[in-house]
Amino acid sequence: MSAGLILAALLVPLLGGAAMLVHPLRDRGPRETWVMAITLITSILTVMLVTGGPREALELLTIYPGLTFAFRVDGLGRVFLAIVAVLWPITILYSFEYMSHEHGENRFFAFFTMTYAVVLGIACAGNTFTLYFCYELLTLCTLPLVMHEMDGKARYAGRKYILYSMTGAALAFAAMVFLYHYGSLDFTLGGSLDADKVRGHEDLLRSAFLLGFFGFGVKAAVWPAHGWLPSASVAPTPVSALLHAVAVVNSGIFAILRITYCNFGAALLRGSFAQMVMMAFPCFTIVFGSAMSWRIQHLKRRLAYSTVSNLSYILLGASVLSSAGLQAALLHMAAHSVFKIMLFFCAGAVLCQSGREYIFELPGMGRRMPVTFAAFALASLGLIGIPPFAGFFSKWALAGAAAAMDSPMGVVGCVALIVSAFLTGLYQVMVIVPAFFPTQDQRSQVRANEAVSEAGWRMKLAFVLLALLALAISFAVAPLSGVLGDIAIGRL
Amino acid sequence: MYSILVLLAVLLPVVSGICMGLIRTAHSRNILFVEALGVTLACTAIAAALGTGMAGAVDMGVFAFRLGADPISHLFAILFALLFLCAGVFSLEYNLHDKNQGRFNAFFLLTLGAMMGLSYSQNLFTFYLFYECMTLMSMPLVFHEGTRESMKAALQYLGYSLFGAALVLFGFFYAGQFCENTNFIAGGSFSAAGQAHLPMALAAAFCLMLGFACKAGMVPLQQWLPVAHPVAPAPASAVLSACITKAGVLGILRSACYVFGADVLRGTWVQTAMTVLALITVFSGSMLAYRERLLKRRLAWSTVSQVSYVLYGLFQFSAAGFAGALLQAVFHAVSKTALFLFAGAVIHQSGKTRVNELTGLGKRMPVVYGCFAFASLSLVGIPPFAGFVSKWKLAVGGLETFGPMGVAGAAILLISAILTAGYLFPILIHGCTEDGDFDRPLEPGWKMRLPLLVLALALLGLGLFTAPLSGVADAAASIFQEVIS
Repeated sequence: MSAGLILAALLVPLLGGAAMLVHPLRDRGPRETWVMAITLITSILTVMLVTGGPREALELLTIYPGLTFAFRVDGLGRVFLAIVAVLWPITILYSFEYMSHEHGENRFFAFFTMTYAVVLGIACAGNTFTLYFCYELLTLCTLPLVMHEMDGKARYAGRKYILYSMTGAALAFAAMVFLYHYGSLDFTLGGSLDADKVRGHEDLLRSAFLLGFFGFGVKAAVWPAHGWLPSASVAPTPVSALLHAVAVVNSGIFAILRITYCNFGAALLRGSFAQMVMMAFPCFTIVFGSAMSWRIQHLKRRLAYSTVSNLSYILLGASVLSSAGLQAALLHMAAHSVFKIMLFFCAGAVLCQSGREYIFELPGMGRRMPVTFAAFALASLGLIGIPPFAGFFSKWALAGAAAAMDSPMGVVGCVALIVSAFLTGLYQVMVIVPAFFPTQDQRSQVRANEAVSEAGWRMKLAFVLLALLALAISFAVAPLSGVLGDIAIGRL
Repeated sequence: MYSILVLLAVLLPVVSGICMGLIRTAHSRNILFVEALGVTLACTAIAAALGTGMAGAVDMGVFAFRLGADPISHLFAILFALLFLCAGVFSLEYNLHDKNQGRFNAFFLLTLGAMMGLSYSQNLFTFYLFYECMTLMSMPLVFHEGTRESMKAALQYLGYSLFGAALVLFGFFYAGQFCENTNFIAGGSFSAAGQAHLPMALAAAFCLMLGFACKAGMVPLQQWLPVAHPVAPAPASAVLSACITKAGVLGILRSACYVFGADVLRGTWVQTAMTVLALITVFSGSMLAYRERLLKRRLAWSTVSQVSYVLYGLFQFSAAGFAGALLQAVFHAVSKTALFLFAGAVIHQSGKTRVNELTGLGKRMPVVYGCFAFASLSLVGIPPFAGFVSKWKLAVGGLETFGPMGVAGAAILLISAILTAGYLFPILIHGCTEDGDFDRPLEPGWKMRLPLLVLALALLGLGLFTAPLSGVADAAASIFQEVIS
């Protein structure tokens, strides 16, 4: 049953999207119905996968001994599946309104829907080979979305995106070869390496792990491979929101979690130079991302840098290599996804209604678009980590896990988190304040903004749904972290 | 009943603050405003009369949201509610022609709600939550005038506050690691794990206190005060100076004596470093106030100096110092509110903002200047006014228990008192004895005079009848002493 369900969840969006390429739906009404139906069916199937019991694997094809296309749902996968399944339909709802201001809607929704299948493939991948395959496919599938505008900037961003991703994939491929040689590609919580083969080659494998870390780290935007993400904010906002704040970047994180905990194993890495490296780079990225975010005046790019920083929070949690760290990482992954997608949606709504892209163009907009900016303020509080929002608890858990490491690197991690929390407060509040409380010398800008009207009902509905979701995860943070804790120690 | 009152004191200002946005007419808005402030004060007072204990707790998994009251909670809650009421009534006249009066009232009430929450918090998590809320809710008070300058000042305020909050958060993480729990327990709950990592624990305690000290305006994080005060409306400056700085004090008090425990910190480098910073602040604040010509900025520097008196008392970690610190916190808050309301009355009635432009003004506004005289005498510490008692206790407490540092402290307190006289009395003397360009009576309306009179008489009353309040402070300090011995 489970195997059939996985296959269905993968095929529905893949075929549904491909069908739109073969047979374009020119009229908006039928197209929206079709896309929404496909998305909802897929989400329902995914929710069934998440909540469903037996863990039966789906093995499609073995192309070489040890290289099999296999899909399986386990604890880590469930977290990712749940995030994606909830956020995807909301994004689609939002995109209907957003894309009605753009061209090439059919192509956009076709690739967007196919991407859903690929992301599900990553979440359900049963071994590194499948993961790698889906990971490559994700790059290709999202490229048309990044380059959607087809103007100079978009083409440049697309080229940059593909160059970074392919380089990363090449590094990840090298890591995979080592894995294949010294063990197996299957995912086993605790590691899939063959202890006999490994003996004597520990440092070699740790280096191989670092190749994989930086390879997959490209999508997770670890410094110095973060450059593609801010550039890719030229894409239409639903893409920036769902893919570049949630699905694609979390795929990078997810792949790193997989190779860390399920392939190379925490035991091999703990206390080694590899762990130091895999902590040091996220620590730097955390501070770097928020500092850049503070400097940049372009709203979407600011949010993109904020994503860079927040993704490294998750990696920091993962690199502590304890179950508490993994639990905190998963919690932050969920919390950040919800808050960041909200922020991007708000930026998109502003762009859509007024064409304003820069923060200094926003004075007085809070009055014109109250729902949008209320949502922005709520999400900002969550992202900054003001209690009682989930962002506080996840950051707390991350810092707690880092502090429990009892090593200088743990303290460095805490300090990085704190510095970044401070900068996050600054860069978020500095967007909200002028929007609601323009100063006297910004009057001309306020007047220029007077003609702007609030977004339509579908965007507003998306905001309300996300706000409810944000409150839900904030107030249900105790049971949620309980579940994530069980996943982290491998019980689910 | 008691629980309901405590919860009401927190929720009422918040709810009425939110309702401000829904009411259209200025008149009914103002009525609600004053009623909310008054009822909050009544709630805090009756709750104090009913006793102490937990009022409510919500478990949130890792953390719990805990509200309740001990004598210190009651002391601060009543103080904050009273001063907000005075400043609130004053603001009705001060902001009369302001088209954004509703916004001011709303954020004023929300700030009060956050401060009530701070007073009644019974663990560090709840305290931190309200502390952040207070920062965000008070920020619109700073940029209320809507000028570019005020926005810059507000952002500076925000930056300093968030930096302080980040330090607090860092300390909070490690407090969670090194203490049994982060509930406020007299004497703290430092754990064996903390003893094992003592250097790190001390560093965390230092960060925690330094973070809170940012709001209390201690060197090196004092710079937001002289920037934010001159641009904010006078009632807002009054609560910023009198109450929000005390929130920082409360944070230090709670983290030092109720989370880590004074026993852990006594005699360590943390105590030395903090005391030295506090004494530097006492001196340099007074010195800068003495040199400053802009009235409100002078008062802001004065706050920097005077709040560090409180901190000096706290860092003695003795019963006498603790009692002195509590008294100084109360008396400074009352006098400083009076002084800022005085400044507001002067600016509102005469339009003058610099000290040297006020010559002869006292003859035209005798009541206001009379209140200013009371507040100044108290702030300098001249008997029979209230400030004398607290400063006496601080100096004596330091001399008795604090060794060489106590001697240095007493000396600096004395020098600072002289400087305080030097920066306050000339305003009075030039205002009342010389003739100036003011040719008509400038006395403000009753809404401005009444709060000033209440505060001035309170200072005299508290100075003449010190026993009740000293009793409260000593009682609070005795809990402290029992646990230590």
